[in-house]
Amino acid sequence: MNKWWWLLLIISCWMAAGVTMFGSRQGLENSGAPLPDRADRIVSLAPNITEILFAIGLGDKITGVTLDSDYPPDAAEKPKVGTFWQPDIEAVVAARPDLVITLGFEQQKNLAERLRRIGYNSLTVNIEKVSDFFAAIEKIGIATGRQRQANELISRIRTKLRQLASIVGAGPKVRVLWVVQREPLRVAGRDTFVNEMIELAGGENAIGSTVHKYPPIGSEQVIACNANVIIESAMGREDIENQRDRALQHWSKFKFLPAVANRRVFVIPGDTVSRLGPRLYEGTETIARCLKPHLFEN
Amino acid sequence: MEQLLTPKKLTTKIGLALAVLAAVMFVCSLIGTETVSLKAVFTGPGTQAAPNPDFEIMGFRLSRIILAGLVGAALACAGVVFQVLLRNPLADPYILGISSGAGLGAIIAVISGFNWTLWGRSPIAVFAFAGALGTVWLVWFIGRLTGKFHVTGLLLAGVVVNAFFSALMMFLTSIAKSDQVYATIFWLMGNLTEGDFLVLWIGAGCVIGGIVALFYIGPQLNALSFGADDARSMGVNVARTRTIAFGIAAGITAVAVSLSGLIGFVGLVVPHGVRLVFGPDHRQLIPLSGITGAIFLVIADTVARIIVAPAQLPVGVVTAIVGGPFFLILLVKYSKKVSWLK
Repeated sequence: MNKWWWLLLIISCWMAAGVTMFGSRQGLENSGAPLPDRADRIVSLAPNITEILFAIGLGDKITGVTLDSDYPPDAAEKPKVGTFWQPDIEAVVAARPDLVITLGFEQQKNLAERLRRIGYNSLTVNIEKVSDFFAAIEKIGIATGRQRQANELISRIRTKLRQLASIVGAGPKVRVLWVVQREPLRVAGRDTFVNEMIELAGGENAIGSTVHKYPPIGSEQVIACNANVIIESAMGREDIENQRDRALQHWSKFKFLPAVANRRVFVIPGDTVSRLGPRLYEGTETIARCLKPHLFEN
Repeated sequence: MEQLLTPKKLTTKIGLALAVLAAVMFVCSLIGTETVSLKAVFTGPGTQAAPNPDFEIMGFRLSRIILAGLVGAALACAGVVFQVLLRNPLADPYILGISSGAGLGAIIAVISGFNWTLWGRSPIAVFAFAGALGTVWLVWFIGRLTGKFHVTGLLLAGVVVNAFFSALMMFLTSIAKSDQVYATIFWLMGNLTEGDFLVLWIGAGCVIGGIVALFYIGPQLNALSFGADDARSMGVNVARTRTIAFGIAAGITAVAVSLSGLIGFVGLVVPHGVRLVFGPDHRQLIPLSGITGAIFLVIADTVARIIVAPAQLPVGVVTAIVGGPFFLILLVKYSKKVSWLK
């Protein structure tokens, strides 16, 4: 039994040594450095953050973006630091950032935490709802010393949305079925920013509140939801007209649905409506044009 | 085996394997999406105002490589033990439900959105660890009810608990938000990210200690591979050996899973590969599997880091794609010579 005691002893010593060597640094490291007043080298880990940065005039300060940052076109030229879901920490460090801006979900929060531990500044913003989005612009503005531009951007978007609301506000609400994926069928539920955009555009979600954010639904619910309009966001680079033809064909089996009977099935460009960014107004207007086209004929 | 295994031969083999491991780790530390100059690394961390990015990148890379090595070693050794305990060549460290238990823990952690860290580990790691150990205990307990270490009962309990927890996992995934779903999917596919040095240190202690302990009971495991009755007639305390081996294997698997998510294939194939090449003696099978598992996972992770750069592949993808064909070559080449396979 002797060798077992030796093993136990050595492991205990090993653990104790580890705790004394690395344990005490813990508290100090987690605090992170305070945010600077201005940032000259910014790494953005999400396409909508990149768009915000460009919109408040920080485009030339960006030294790294994720692979899916393709708007504005200049963003696609920036060095890449991995994907949205799996950022590459080596590439982030190699971009020598003085500020890294991440979103709030697990992978990115985790990366921000690791960077903070070795002394990099990181800012984590949550952008899930429209109100989060405005708060995020403000937060980014403060962290980068661009409050004025950030506030201008916010009020610009708000003003446009108000104008849109005055155009579409009157009249009955149009019931919209927002299709995320056809097979198996999943649609946008009430607790999503897409739902907010539909409401801003003068519509309402044809699906009531659900457990899921993007609930999978069956054919019965499709018929029962009584949607006036079906909207899909475009996939890939294929021509939108072709996609719309196929969508009409797919939905033609639900003949009694008002949206299908009146051929009001739309496919709209994905970027502005699947990304909650500074093009929020453009996306909302596109939706409004689908819902109430007669208001935009002039 | 035509020759007896002497301590000297064993030491030489382990020493050589360790040297290969060190060489692989060194080479892999030079490979990555960013080029790092060794000279710049040795100038030190730099100051707060002008940090040395080369040093930091190397720090990330090294800690990730060490982590890959630890996880590979743990999974491979646990695989050896489960294969002999269950007397089943298809056994791997996940066979008794550790994977689904850990996965369930991870999903619960992601969905509940906890925002704390325990010794630098995220709630995911802590919950996954608890889930893994809890599941193993449950399966072991049910297995005991079916008879005193009844292998079939244990295996069936493992399969059913696995299916049950997988169903719970699928339910939780279906109601989760899309970003939470992605967070868990990447975790489930195996995800090596460098951790805090304290975590690495403690993980290393657990894994290496566990492997040494398994090495101690190598002779008893040899006896057990002939079956419980034969082992008993050779004077081995079967129940005690099984409990120790089972507990340690489950423990180091749980540590590996909480460090890295679910990385498949290593625990199944490395033990078989080593057994094919070096023979089934557990005294060398355990250390050599551990070292080979470490080498294998370090290489697989390096491939995962660079092959679609700057994006990264989940390492589980690479282990199966690289390891599968390699294992088949071994199987065909050596199976003619090895009698125990027949």
